[in-house]
Formats: sequence, structure tokens, C-alpha cells
Amino acid sequence: MAALTGTMSWFCCGNSWGPCGTAGHGACGTCNSGSYQHAWPNASAACFNITRPDRCGVSMTRRGCGFRHYTTNRCNGKRIGTTIADCGPQTDLWCGERACCGSVCGTNRIVDLTAAAYSQIASLSSGLQPCSVDTV
Amino acid sequence: MTETVDRRRLLTNAVVGSAALAGATALGSLAPEAAFAAGDQAIEPGAPDPNFAEGRITGISAGMLFVTGSDMALWRIRITGGTSIWKLRPTTFDQVAVGDGLYARGLRLPDGTLAADSVWVNIVNVHAHIAAIGRNLLHLDHKGKRIVGHLVPGTSAARYNNTPAVSDMSMLRVGKHVQVIGAWVPDTNEVEIATVYAAA
Repeated sequence: MAALTGTMSWFCCGNSWGPCGTAGHGACGTCNSGSYQHAWPNASAACFNITRPDRCGVSMTRRGCGFRHYTTNRCNGKRIGTTIADCGPQTDLWCGERACCGSVCGTNRIVDLTAAAYSQIASLSSGLQPCSVDTV
Repeated sequence: MTETVDRRRLLTNAVVGSAALAGATALGSLAPEAAFAAGDQAIEPGAPDPNFAEGRITGISAGMLFVTGSDMALWRIRITGGTSIWKLRPTTFDQVAVGDGLYARGLRLPDGTLAADSVWVNIVNVHAHIAAIGRNLLHLDHKGKRIVGHLVPGTSAARYNNTPAVSDMSMLRVGKHVQVIGAWVPDTNEVEIATVYAAA
């Protein structure tokens, strides 16, 4: 599979504080902010019907809980392996959105990493970065 | 990887009393963007990261944050001269308070403490709809609950589909979806807004 390119952000799940306090453990029931996990827009048929990446022209393979992806921050080349633990992001809310580092850009939201995973490859305060997602 | 290891070694040395940190910046920036580990991944995908902490601050003493994790884990987080601290904006240790929430990344030392590279205090990343707009306020609908977002003059910025961050919030519209990076005001439903991401 060729790497899928787009944008990435981060989210909280599991026990937490503040607005995250009610986040729960995600669609897979295993999600925790401190673990190397991610949300995937096509984690199931029900998930896909919410996130609808196809409406943004993004073709995304269906992969279930526990599937391993590798996400690269295209701003700095840092890479992290994570497993699917939730459904998201809701890609169709952000169709056409771009994030760039100089001339390197990503378009459309394709993955949300847990805080632990995102902070390994980017600063949490950056919020949104161009990325690529692969299976190896 | 070499740079990261060397940098972390310097941090560790600084924590245990060496003055080695004075030369750390010679290896590059100590800002969060430059502080992330590279190279082979030591933690298995799906597993908890022992070098990452989350929770609320229960005590502060002599460069140490005492934190109770939301899973009730107890953390001792060492702040060094090389630790970058974010609380709405890059800031200093004296701005951190008991009761604040945090995420921290660093290096676990043999004594169980976490020598922090980066600490993000009260940071939230909220995906919400704009329910109402007031003077220096955004009322946000977040998973059926209301969050009050305060625009902080001189700090809050908007990015409209990858435009440079601007202070002009006039393109925000009620009903539109936004992503907000901000700092939670502890024990309230309020956040101070750092950046709003919105469609143009």
C-alpha cells in the first residue's frame, strides 16, 4: 500500500481531566491518552458512515481495532507506530483543509493520534501537522 | 538519534547535579518542536509510554511537580533548565500551579522521576461547533456540552485553512466546526484560546 498523505491531530481518551474527562476509552474500549494508539476514520462500517472520508475524495482501507499503522510527521520526518483504538477523525468536516510546513503540505484529516503518540513526533501545541500513514 | 540521546543524557546529568546542561543548546534547540525522540521506536505500538505522564498537579516543590494521574498513578516530574513549558503560550515554571492539568514528555530516571523535556499545562484540543459568538468569547458545543472559550488579546489566533495565524476572528461563524487548541481553566467549563482552526 502506498502511504496515505493528509493531516494529523491529537486527542485524549481514557481517564483524563478537563474537557477530556468524559472521553471514555473510545470505540474499541482500549483507548488511553498515554498509550501509542490512534483513531482511524474507517475502523468499521458504522465508523465510516460517520467520518465519510470518501466525501473528501480520500480512499481509506477498512481496518479494525488493534491494527498497526505508522504515522510520519512530514514537518520533521519523525515516525511513530500506533494501533487503532478509536473511530475518527471526522474527515468530512474538514474537506480540503490543508496544513503545511514550508512547501510540504497535507490535505484532509486522516488520523488522530493519542497525546502520548503525537507528542513523540510533534508538539501538542502545534495542533495540526501534515503527515503520511503507512502499514510498514 | 545520536543527537537525541546526547541531549537526553545532558538533561539527565543536569537533573542529577551536573552542569552539563549549559552546553545543551549547542546540540540544537530545546523547544518542543526539536525535542522529540527519533530513530527506532522502543515502545511497542499500542503500549503505554513510560516516558509520558498525564494528570493533575497536587504539589510543587524545588523544581519538582507532584502529579496524580487520571488513572491514579503518582508521578514526580523534574523540571530542569532545559524543560520547555507551555501554558497557553511558552512560559516559565513559576506560572505552573497546583490544580493544573498537564501532559509531560521526558525521560524516566532510575529513581522513578520523569526528567521533563516538555510540559504542556492545561492544554486541550477541542473539536466543537460554534454555538454563539460574544465579545472576546466563543461559546462552543462540544459533545453536547457547552465550553466557553475566551479570546486572549495578543495571544489568541485563528488559522483559516492553513492561512498564517491571524488575530482576526471575524471569519468565524455560528454553526461552523472548529478545532481549538487552548488552556483549560481548572475546574470550570472554560478555556483560554491559543489557536482556532477553521475553514475559510
